Amino acid sequence: MKSVIVSVPFEEGLHARPASEVSKLCQSFSSDIKFINGDIEANPKSTLGLLTLGATKGTEIKVEISGDDEAEALKAIEAFFQRKDLI
Amino acid sequence: MLINENLIDMNLEADTKEEAIKKLAQMAYKEGRVNDIDRYVEAVLKREAEYSTSVGFGVAIPHGKTDAVNEPFLGFAKVKGIDWSAPDEKPVDLVFIIGVPEAQAGNEHLKILAKLSRRLMKDDFRQLLRQASSKKDILAAVQEAVA
Repeated sequence: MKSVIVSVPFEEGLHARPASEVSKLCQSFSSDIKFINGDIEANPKSTLGLLTLGATKGTEIKVEISGDDEAEALKAIEAFFQRKDLI
Repeated sequence: MLINENLIDMNLEADTKEEAIKKLAQMAYKEGRVNDIDRYVEAVLKREAEYSTSVGFGVAIPHGKTDAVNEPFLGFAKVKGIDWSAPDEKPVDLVFIIGVPEAQAGNEHLKILAKLSRRLMKDDFRQLLRQASSKKDILAAVQEAVA
């Protein structure tokens, strides 16, 4: 299992286009992925799941990944939260 | 109040998502929540063009933040299976629409979305929305969800 804490850089928080895109990104990996914000845990492969997090700009999200492609998924998710084009 | 019975339509006639959005916007206009239907619809459709606001499970949550909105609102309509470019490709039959004034847009609609989504994840809530035959029942369930 791999985990990392990322901070939401998107002006409008984690919904709308960033949510739609990170969901697609997570779906491209076979690993189990969890996004955790406080006591709320969500499956980021579902857009609805991501919205339950209510993650505003600056929110720290704990990402937990376990599965065959966890290393690649970790890299890709970390890079996603650095993206400037979605801000 | 974010939502009231006048912002609920139990059987909205619409063949496309554009039509559904326009009719929901008209409801909000009649309630004084929106001051310019065209500009509000334009803001909502602009988002729709960037990504689909369908969240799966037959549910879509279009929204717009614009100064064409006077005060935050939540509208709801049941429709007859509309193609909403859903991630799971299922037609949408439950539509929630959110409007937030530009100035207030920071976190307000994210909070509404988060509360609503937590409840929508639950099968029994979706079932209740689909089976309820009175606006009163829908209103009570939705108000409790976003309280």
